[in-house]
Amino acid sequence: MKYRVSADIGGTFTDLVIQGQNGEVEIGKVPTTSENPALGVLAGIDQLVENPSDIDFFVHGTTVGLNAFLERRGARTLLLMTRGVSDTYTIARGHREELYKLHYRKPEQLVPRADVHEVTERLNWDGSVETPLDQADFAPIIEKVKAEGIKAIAVCFLHAYANPKHELLAREILQEALPGVSVSLSHRVASEWREYERASSTVMDAYVAPVVELYLETLKQELVKSGMDKTVHIMSSAGGAMTDRSAAAHPISTLLSGPVGGSIGGCELAKQTGLENLLCVDMGGTSFDLSLVIDGEAQMTSETVLEGLPLLMSIVAIETVGAGGGSVAWIEGGGLRVGPRSAGSYPGPVCYGRGGSEPTVTDANLFLGRLGAESLLDGKMTLDLDGTKAAMKALGDQVGLSEKGLAEGIIAISNAKMADAMRTITVGQGIDPREFTLVAFGGAGPMHAVELAAELDIKRILIPPYPGTFSAWGMLQSEIRHDLSTNFVSLMSDCSEAKLQGLFDDLIERGRSVLDGENVTAERMSFEHSIDLRYLGQEYTLRVTVEDGETIAQVLERFHALYERRYGHSMREGEVEMINTRVAAFGDFNRPGTAPMNEAVDASPERARRDVTFGGEQYDTPILKRALMASGSEYQSPAIVEEESATTVVPPGYSITIDALGNMIIALEESA
Amino acid sequence: MSSETATNPVTTEIIRNAFIAIAEDMNAALIRSAYTPIIYEGKDCAVGLLDEKGDVLGQSLGLPLFLGNLSLCVQIIAEEKGWDYYEEGDCILLNDSYIAGTHLNDITVIMPIFWRGERIGFATSRAHWLDVGAKDPATPTDATEIYQEGMRWPPTKVYRKGEPQTDILTFMKVNSRFGDALLGDLHAQIAAGRTGQKRMTELLDRFGLETVTAAKHDIFAQSERMEKEAIRAIADGEYFAEGMLDNDGLSDDPVPVKLKATVLGEEMELDLEGSSPQTIGGVNCGFTQTISAARVAFKLLINPERPVDGGTFKALTVKAPEGSIFRAQEPAACSWYFSSLGLLIDMVVKALSPALPERAAAAHYGDSMVTTFSGLDQRRDGEFFVSVEANCGGWGAWEGHDGQDCLINNVNGSFRDYPIELYEHRYPIKIRRYGIRTNSGGQGKYRGGNGCFREYEVEQDVALSLWFERSKTTAWGLRGGSAGMPPKVTITLADGEVDQSTLKVNARTVQAGSRILIETGGGGGFGNASQRPADLTKSDRQNHYTD
Repeated sequence: MKYRVSADIGGTFTDLVIQGQNGEVEIGKVPTTSENPALGVLAGIDQLVENPSDIDFFVHGTTVGLNAFLERRGARTLLLMTRGVSDTYTIARGHREELYKLHYRKPEQLVPRADVHEVTERLNWDGSVETPLDQADFAPIIEKVKAEGIKAIAVCFLHAYANPKHELLAREILQEALPGVSVSLSHRVASEWREYERASSTVMDAYVAPVVELYLETLKQELVKSGMDKTVHIMSSAGGAMTDRSAAAHPISTLLSGPVGGSIGGCELAKQTGLENLLCVDMGGTSFDLSLVIDGEAQMTSETVLEGLPLLMSIVAIETVGAGGGSVAWIEGGGLRVGPRSAGSYPGPVCYGRGGSEPTVTDANLFLGRLGAESLLDGKMTLDLDGTKAAMKALGDQVGLSEKGLAEGIIAISNAKMADAMRTITVGQGIDPREFTLVAFGGAGPMHAVELAAELDIKRILIPPYPGTFSAWGMLQSEIRHDLSTNFVSLMSDCSEAKLQGLFDDLIERGRSVLDGENVTAERMSFEHSIDLRYLGQEYTLRVTVEDGETIAQVLERFHALYERRYGHSMREGEVEMINTRVAAFGDFNRPGTAPMNEAVDASPERARRDVTFGGEQYDTPILKRALMASGSEYQSPAIVEEESATTVVPPGYSITIDALGNMIIALEESA
Repeated sequence: MSSETATNPVTTEIIRNAFIAIAEDMNAALIRSAYTPIIYEGKDCAVGLLDEKGDVLGQSLGLPLFLGNLSLCVQIIAEEKGWDYYEEGDCILLNDSYIAGTHLNDITVIMPIFWRGERIGFATSRAHWLDVGAKDPATPTDATEIYQEGMRWPPTKVYRKGEPQTDILTFMKVNSRFGDALLGDLHAQIAAGRTGQKRMTELLDRFGLETVTAAKHDIFAQSERMEKEAIRAIADGEYFAEGMLDNDGLSDDPVPVKLKATVLGEEMELDLEGSSPQTIGGVNCGFTQTISAARVAFKLLINPERPVDGGTFKALTVKAPEGSIFRAQEPAACSWYFSSLGLLIDMVVKALSPALPERAAAAHYGDSMVTTFSGLDQRRDGEFFVSVEANCGGWGAWEGHDGQDCLINNVNGSFRDYPIELYEHRYPIKIRRYGIRTNSGGQGKYRGGNGCFREYEVEQDVALSLWFERSKTTAWGLRGGSAGMPPKVTITLADGEVDQSTLKVNARTVQAGSRILIETGGGGGFGNASQRPADLTKSDRQNHYTD
């Protein structure tokens, strides 16, 4: 028997999904072993697979790079920049994120000013050399790195995106003098203009590099020791799998390796079900992540900001809102507020009985019967309903609401906030959410999914099997993916199809050689092209896909249409400018399909009935066990569907069906 | 504690969050579809979602100086023309300084929102347009009358009941040096307005007018209550401050600003009696803009975290003498209005510092420090270009912390400096050096932040304009801290001649090869320098923040 295994290594738990040759799936959840995450993964594998040497494919998502950054445990990094302008990094563009604050402080940079050094060299805006690189400038820098045991160097020269010559030369000099020190070059991390943002990205790459390398090495060793000798894959922030070697060469791309699993899982659901437009929501204890799948593809972005530090990199577009099961209800100026502060897992919601006294969203769900006192972790944790009731009464009295009114209110406010974020990524971009299917996962997602859908007039909701470990499942569905880009500024009216194809061909060639290095055979390679376009004079660009053999006119037409959809107008007579060309290079793993689930089940799924409040009214509601809901079966709401990793709440007025692959499809009844 | 039965605390909170989300989406639409860097990098814009009487429902972060001003514009127009002037499908444009308050480059766009045939609100925005056809490119520094500062539009319908008024649009376009960008930025503002209209009507479809109105009253009442509580916590009394601008850009005479702040119970009054009469040079503004600036200062001290709505500023009264720089009359020039207002804001903070020690800080470098280059780009067949930049500087220290180095001034909010790579690509000018101006912050137990320096080398003949301020009233220290250094400009001409004599220049031709070095001021220090903790001194040396 051969297995494919994925692991989503989170801060507290490591989720595992194991898929056999026929596509059948098993899940596991074990505590994360932060010191040596491999041990947790192996413990999980041990529960599910007899012999690790039977593992044919292994992919995982890790927060090791992200945590090293968040906890500021990365390597001390030196930054080299062009003489005269190195303070651009420390000045960090000089803006303020909070406007009415005399005590505003800039985000803390990863490299202190004393570790930013200048090198004599200068390129012109078009990439031509004005002042050659002065090699003599490196001597004191090399001496400092040796003397102080510095492990990582970031290099960001002006206009390096237009000509990498000086950065490459710098690496040569540094690597020769300093073997074992990792060197990150800005044009390789992000070949795009804007020196501060590029320097910030390059520093991040260098900063997490030694930590990520050590982690990968250790993981690989532990796995090999146990008999798992296949290539180790890591999810990249762009939503593809990378080999450990690629990851070590591009450590920054592992930074948001965890959350992208959900979006990739969404793409796979789109393929399986034929529902091509999905709004994916992942709700846990403290945060709510949203992403879109449009025409079967995850939406990408090329820039993100972490703790105030900008990062240029291709990444699945995921919006995060501070709303989760732990969001706290409170009073301000006589008004009721919910979140963004979270009770976290300690003390956690009142009902956890760990000393929390402020009611949270989870408390509201418990109070209303949506969450059973024994629902969590299959009854392994019992919740304190009395404590929750007392806290609801205390807060409700302050705003003149009954306990029930307050509990429903907390959920309504929290749902409305999440719905506002859902509107921003859809309506705000000219997308009509009513044509979408809502896919909900994460521990708390299914509990709120149907009401969230109702907020946006979405009529269909899909809860995948094992929603609590859906991200790990998504990772198993990934392909190898590498994103390559080049900065090439030109008017589209000056650009020919041949020129464009030439730019793509160069990138494809680079992509092909990376995939080659990962032993991907030619017939399993595929490439997607896109360009970043804007009207002449604008700054922000839209990414437009380019199909094989398309004319410039066809590409422009798509741009105008996209622009019109997003901003309500377009300037068809205006000049259009291209900024970047991009290629995504894919390597297909030849995955087996997903096996049908729950084909024959004899027992009735109804385990109990409970009074649950919907819209102020009590309903005698069946509690269904998901594992016993057979494919093809249908149910009416109201209903509560319980499984180990999540609880799905379905208010009155919906039908529930289980499809052949075990997905739960919840649809608004037309008459309702 | 709902005042009406049509809503409850839950619905009110949902609607409050929705108002804020709508304003943020409007702002995103404006910034992402704008044509000029001053909007998309500089964020020199603001949006406001208003109710049927022009009171704020939701406002995004944006240029602080536009705070609360969009309301006043809608209300002033209604006073003059009646509320029925606003018809469905209209898009009204306005930049008259004596109504809108700011300079002619700031264009206010007002789009009424109708729901089931009834006018229920306004989607509004204001953005800085690069060039509105003044006598010199962008914004002249030596105008003496508003007629030299560009096209001046009283309320003008560019869309009337949904129909574009193409004659007017074409007229606007041909009167700007950047007509295409001008129309592009107008469209960006219209995109923001449409986003607001759409989202607001959806909200009404869902909750109905009665509920939304009831919720609005509750929200306003919450804000007003919180504000009054905050003012009550300040000791009653009169608080004073005064300072001066270097000059009005034309004469050498300083321009005084005087402030008296009176706190009585739950109310605050800011009175500018004694401030300079309106000047020949353009440091004047309309009274609506003075109110906005006073509100910015108020907001820095009173409940800064609370979003602005129609209940905010109810407790604040602003007074300014007729015919003063703060309440200027035709034909006063208004191009550089923000210098006076920036000083006014600092005066309010200074005056109230003793009463609000936990919010107070020493002064920041104070003004926008604007460099403007224009000319015909030889690299692009002589295409006309203008670059306008504000520059960052040092901020004031406060108890427990040094002031920040190189941060944009108060009135410019979230303005970002222009990336050198983008700048050199776009303009025939090289940025030779850009960095932190060592030692420019005032000394103290906690030191003031350092200003910046930025050196340009022009690759061809260009016209240079400069507007640097606050060399006389530099950033003062607090509780024994010293003042920051003043700004400085050094022009080294191609022939080697060096000019350090001026901080303000209008459209002066400088030859290819000339270098312009600008240095901005530092922030004030806090407390006595002899008490500075040793580790801070050491870290400053290591990082070369001080020598």
